[in-house]
Amino acid sequence: MIELKGIYKWVNTGNNRTFLLKDINLTVKQGEFISIMGPSGSGKSTLLNVIGMLDEFDEGEYIFMNEPVHKLKEKQRAALYKQYIGFVFQAYHLIDELTVYENIETPLIYQDIKSSERKAMVADILDRFNIVGKKDLFPTQLSGGQQQLVGIARALIANPKLLLADEPTGNLNSKQGEEIMNLFIQLNKDGVTIIQVTHSEKNAAYGSRIINLLDGRIEK
Amino acid sequence: MFKNYFKIAFRNLARNKIYSLINIAGLAIGLACAMLIILYVKDEISYDRFQLKADNIYRIVTHNVDKNGGKIHKDPNTGYLQGPRFMQNIPEIKNFVRIQQGNENIKLGDEVKNQELLYVDSSFFKIFSFPLVSGNVNNCLNEPLSVVMTEDAARTQFGTTNVIGRIVMMKDDSVFVPHKVTAVVKNCPQNSSIKFDMLLPIRESQADATNSKNWFNSFLNTFVVLNPHSDIQSVESKMQKFYVTDTKDAIISLKKQFGDVVESWKSEYHLQPFLAMHLSTELPSQNGLSGASNPMYSYILSGIALFVLLIACINFVNLTVARSVKRAKEIGIRKVVGSDRKQLIFQFLGESFLLCLIAFVLAIALVQLSLPIFNMLSNKALALSYLFDIKLVAGYILLFVFTTLLAGFYPAIVLSGYKPVKSLYNRFNNVGKNYLQKSLVVLQFTLAAFLIIATLTIYKQFNFLTNEKLGYDDTDIVTIQKDFKTHEEAWLFKNELLKNPGIVSVAPRNGGSWSTIAKLGNDSTINFDYETIDDSFLPVLKIPLALGRNFSSEFPADSANSILVNETFVKKAGWKNPIGQTVNFWYNNNKIYTVIGVVKDYHFESLNKKIGPQLFTMKPENPYGMVFIKIKPNTASVSLMAIQKSFKQLFPLNPYSYVFMNEKNRKAYEAEAKWKQIMLFGALLTIFISCIGLFGLSVLSAEKRTKEIGIRKVLGASVNGVVTILSKDFLKLVFISLVIAIPAAWLASNKWLENYPYRISLSWSLFALGALLVILIALITVSFQAIKAAVANPVKSLRTE
Repeated sequence: MIELKGIYKWVNTGNNRTFLLKDINLTVKQGEFISIMGPSGSGKSTLLNVIGMLDEFDEGEYIFMNEPVHKLKEKQRAALYKQYIGFVFQAYHLIDELTVYENIETPLIYQDIKSSERKAMVADILDRFNIVGKKDLFPTQLSGGQQQLVGIARALIANPKLLLADEPTGNLNSKQGEEIMNLFIQLNKDGVTIIQVTHSEKNAAYGSRIINLLDGRIEK
Repeated sequence: MFKNYFKIAFRNLARNKIYSLINIAGLAIGLACAMLIILYVKDEISYDRFQLKADNIYRIVTHNVDKNGGKIHKDPNTGYLQGPRFMQNIPEIKNFVRIQQGNENIKLGDEVKNQELLYVDSSFFKIFSFPLVSGNVNNCLNEPLSVVMTEDAARTQFGTTNVIGRIVMMKDDSVFVPHKVTAVVKNCPQNSSIKFDMLLPIRESQADATNSKNWFNSFLNTFVVLNPHSDIQSVESKMQKFYVTDTKDAIISLKKQFGDVVESWKSEYHLQPFLAMHLSTELPSQNGLSGASNPMYSYILSGIALFVLLIACINFVNLTVARSVKRAKEIGIRKVVGSDRKQLIFQFLGESFLLCLIAFVLAIALVQLSLPIFNMLSNKALALSYLFDIKLVAGYILLFVFTTLLAGFYPAIVLSGYKPVKSLYNRFNNVGKNYLQKSLVVLQFTLAAFLIIATLTIYKQFNFLTNEKLGYDDTDIVTIQKDFKTHEEAWLFKNELLKNPGIVSVAPRNGGSWSTIAKLGNDSTINFDYETIDDSFLPVLKIPLALGRNFSSEFPADSANSILVNETFVKKAGWKNPIGQTVNFWYNNNKIYTVIGVVKDYHFESLNKKIGPQLFTMKPENPYGMVFIKIKPNTASVSLMAIQKSFKQLFPLNPYSYVFMNEKNRKAYEAEAKWKQIMLFGALLTIFISCIGLFGLSVLSAEKRTKEIGIRKVLGASVNGVVTILSKDFLKLVFISLVIAIPAAWLASNKWLENYPYRISLSWSLFALGALLVILIALITVSFQAIKAAVANPVKSLRTE
């Protein structure tokens, strides 16, 4: 599904070049559940953003679902991740001005899905996540765990093949974190490929494979 | 999708009340100003366009070249002959109509009232498109004793508009002559240069119509209708050619009478398009024409409206961009969940559209509310019902779309360009130099400061105009218009009035203003204003003499031989010893008058006009037309009653009305008073909208710098110190604005003041006052928020970070 070959990413500060990612080679197969670990500043989030096509890289090849990402134009790339990728963030990143229902609905709007269809899909996922009662609340009226549930629901609403999660439990207490992790396992069983970035050994263990990053390099 | 956008937009507006209020209030005011000015400008350019033949109607005007100065004097007046003779001899001219303003004394019940009206040719209704309510277009002005009136005039006269065949009594010398109403016409549109209540057929005797000397006697407006697509220049040259041949004999006979000066009476004939009259600055609209305005007013008003709207849009741009830190997260999320840039641009444009829409609706309400004041200020009768004009609606929609784009486009482009990785990971940096925001603030305050200084200049000049010594005393002076048949009649009235204890003194004078030419020595001539007075005129108005003596009853020959002149006259004549000099009038069969005294210059006209040469005589042949009555202070009501009683006793068939002279003098500056107020409104609005924008920015800046302020306070900064830090940046911008605005305002004020022969000199204190005002207002605006931020508890602000 994903193939990264010799990915480099750097920033130039004065005469110095600081490498954020250094010679990353990584293959991810459909149905995997991968945890990326490493200390602060090791490039975990950067790698995740590169995979999610939010961030660009300076060198290397990236093949996603048989498409050479590095050769695609901005628009085609956007179309690709719109269709296949869902994001979950540590800080939830819900739109404060929209209700739970509307937050979850937003990706569908951008995919030009008809209103009646959208209704059915959102109702379905609200039901699946047990948050039907919260659908008219605004994000600030929810607890952190609930907000993250909404965030995951939003990431999954368009049936992505790949779920990218950047420290999804980072702002949650351990019980809430556990629930989210169990949800991930369930999703993975249903066929969603998951890549998560985490600090916690315990959460990393939920994954089927762990990748350790240090100073932008994959440790072997 | 749009539903989603609007939902977000609405919730954003509701959540950020200060921000929404600033933007909506500012834009509504700006749009309202623009709408009012569009109404005004539309009215200006639509002036007279309802005349169906307007494109082919021209006014005959003349240019006279002043030999001494080489200056061209343009005159809109013509005489009896130009119309008919040009039409007979120039094939392109299809028709003509002459219009002369006048007034008649009309009986209304037991009262006699003075009615202003126009004398016109019977072709009037064939040329001008004033629809008749009743009567016949072809013959309503044929009979000499017919009268045509508007619906309003008919209602005042008869209480109904069904008045064909009814009789109006008009005074002719001492008897009332019946005039028959032959037609009723709709009231003149307010955007018509020709306005009237009544029309009478023009009174031209057979002798007048055939006397070729009448070419040189100009007192009415002549309009001609040309064939469509006529070549104006060729018509003008034909007119000139015909004029030269037709006046040959008249010139020879006039030269015998007056000498070579007759050469200077020759004119050059031109045609002024009818539609160009309203905004003409060279040829006055007079003699039945009114409402002319200077196109400069349209420019100034449009300028102010544009300023206000621009400043409101700048508020929108600045506040939206400054608030973008808060919106950045939403933008990032939207991009991550699949929005592309175009969709985001549309979303933000949608938000500015919504905001503008609310402002637009409010603006319409504001226009409706402020129309009465605006009409008063701009001397118009505009109504919002004008709105139902398609062009105007189109104009407003254009204005709306333009405002939406002006305000919304830049923020939409900037905001939609944010990279999600940066905005979502708090790596977002909006601390940059913000040159755009800063220059926009500078622009706002430059405009505001400019208008404030301009307003101060106008105020000062206005004060000068209304308080400057006129050279005479106009307090407690009542003037009454009355055409006296003889000087004795006037003196009879004077003596009658003086019997009254409340009346101090009385002086008759000619009515209206006269001017003429006289010969000095052998070949030099002088143009001057020409007053017919008696020995009481100078004392009543307390006009001092510089030299010589006043007219006096001790010198009975004064009325036949003596004159007084003013100082300017002496200067123009170049006399070293004015007393005893002689003046030779052209129109008086070369009778010679001797100067017996020099009157100190006084402003006999408004201060808008330079004092010209003036000459005073007591010649019995010149009729008195008004009296100046000095009453005792604080006896106005009693004295006025006494004056009216005496008047009615002596002249029961004459209309009576009085004017206080100081009020009349004040009225001379009505235009200035109005512009003073318009500028004041403009300045207030610009500074107000600029300040609410600045306030919004200071709120956002303080929010953005909460953490910095917290740290500074923890490190020991005082409240004063923090306030200074927060206010300094904004005040710096205001200073830059002043540096730009002051020279610009200086130039513009100077230019404006050049219109006035008597004017204030621009002093630095005026600019200092303007600058101080701007700084003070800005300081109050900014420090309000700065103090609030500075006294906040740092522990709180740091914790929330």
